[in-house]
Amino acid sequence: MNAPQPNLHVKARGSSELARIVRVNEEIKAIVATAFRINLMALNAIFLAKRAGNAALGFGVLSNELRRFAQDLTRNMSSLRDMTSGSVGSVTGVVQYQRNSSILAEAIRLSGDGVPGAREARRRGAARLAAQQAKLRALDIRLRSAVEETQQLVELGGVLARSAKIEAAYGGTFSPALMQVSTDFAEVIAQIKRSLEILGKERLVKD
Amino acid sequence: MKQAHCIFEEDDHRWLAIARDPSKPGHIIDTNEYVVVKGKEALLCDPGGIEIFPSVFSALSAECDPTRLAGIFSSHQDPDIISSLALWLEFKPELKCYISWLWQSFLPHFGGEESTFVPIPDPGMTILLGGIELQAIPAHYLHSSGNFHLYDPKAKILFSGDVGAALLPADHNGLYVEDFGRHIRHAEAFHKRWMGSDKAKRDWCERVSRLEIDMMVPQHGAIYRGADVQRFINWFSALEVGVLRS
Repeated sequence: MNAPQPNLHVKARGSSELARIVRVNEEIKAIVATAFRINLMALNAIFLAKRAGNAALGFGVLSNELRRFAQDLTRNMSSLRDMTSGSVGSVTGVVQYQRNSSILAEAIRLSGDGVPGAREARRRGAARLAAQQAKLRALDIRLRSAVEETQQLVELGGVLARSAKIEAAYGGTFSPALMQVSTDFAEVIAQIKRSLEILGKERLVKD
Repeated sequence: MKQAHCIFEEDDHRWLAIARDPSKPGHIIDTNEYVVVKGKEALLCDPGGIEIFPSVFSALSAECDPTRLAGIFSSHQDPDIISSLALWLEFKPELKCYISWLWQSFLPHFGGEESTFVPIPDPGMTILLGGIELQAIPAHYLHSSGNFHLYDPKAKILFSGDVGAALLPADHNGLYVEDFGRHIRHAEAFHKRWMGSDKAKRDWCERVSRLEIDMMVPQHGAIYRGADVQRFINWFSALEVGVLRS
């Protein structure tokens, strides 16, 4: 055989890096969809609070805050998505350089020691690969910090949902309906928290 | 494992054929690569695909200093011809790649910068290598719409790309055609299907009949020598091409 084994090995490694990006993207998509749901829920809650009148004034204020929260969350997620789209190019570059370096190393190994130009080629390849990996690491750091920022925002969303639950208790005849809405808010925000935890654990590059 | 065979040598002028690889995985078509060496420069003709790069590189390195490679001649754009381009450039980034102008913007999908490519105009061009003049001979539509062969008037060798190619059985592993009648049976279906234009075929036959050719070296199969070259041209000239089934 003409040493296809190392190539296959590199392909598998590359595809796992791309698979990580796909997982990150899927998680972001799930959060964006949930943020859209919160926005709608918040709109409904605002209408419900209006119908409840004076008894649900506090609930109405909180619903407005939750709507703003959903909009901020959507914005954050959209910038996260831009980051991961950008990382596809860097990951592809890393995969390509890794593959080329690996095949070239195999070719040099088959040719025996002392092939003229081999050392320079290896050095060039390693430098290019290191540059791409550094780019990817920088992106990974930005992504992690953006996820942390979003986690803080979601903490605030959680506080708003809990406050809405308290306000719902003062909703008079509308109290059961308001309680239901605030419970839904809390559940959806818990779901986003879980997704962000998964996202926080994902790395675009291995440490 | 591929090996480089010297098929022509005169002073510092050599042609190497990197052919026949019995250990190659069966699902990859067998290819021949050729290296023209003149003085301190070398030109690699149709370097092949990514998967065979290690064996082509090591076969070439065994016979010639790979840093002397000045360029790559790509007869056309197919993956078995040139998909290893990025790897050769990884080894030597300043390599030039000669290819039909038609494929100049397609080949960068395999690798290379704008400065890598030297577009060959439709009528062909002269490629200088270590003081000799190699000629890019038009072979358009045989089979690619932008297709060139390479003629070395000093060595009297014509690198004919896919023209003359034969898909030989595993036990036909000789470097040269020994029995034209038996050999050509393995070339017939290939030429009927892959060569798309009868007019282009006639043009090519006329064009190469005017050249002095001692050896015609195709990208697949065995090398034609001596009278077998003209035998091939006559056979090809009479063959009906561009047909789906024989």
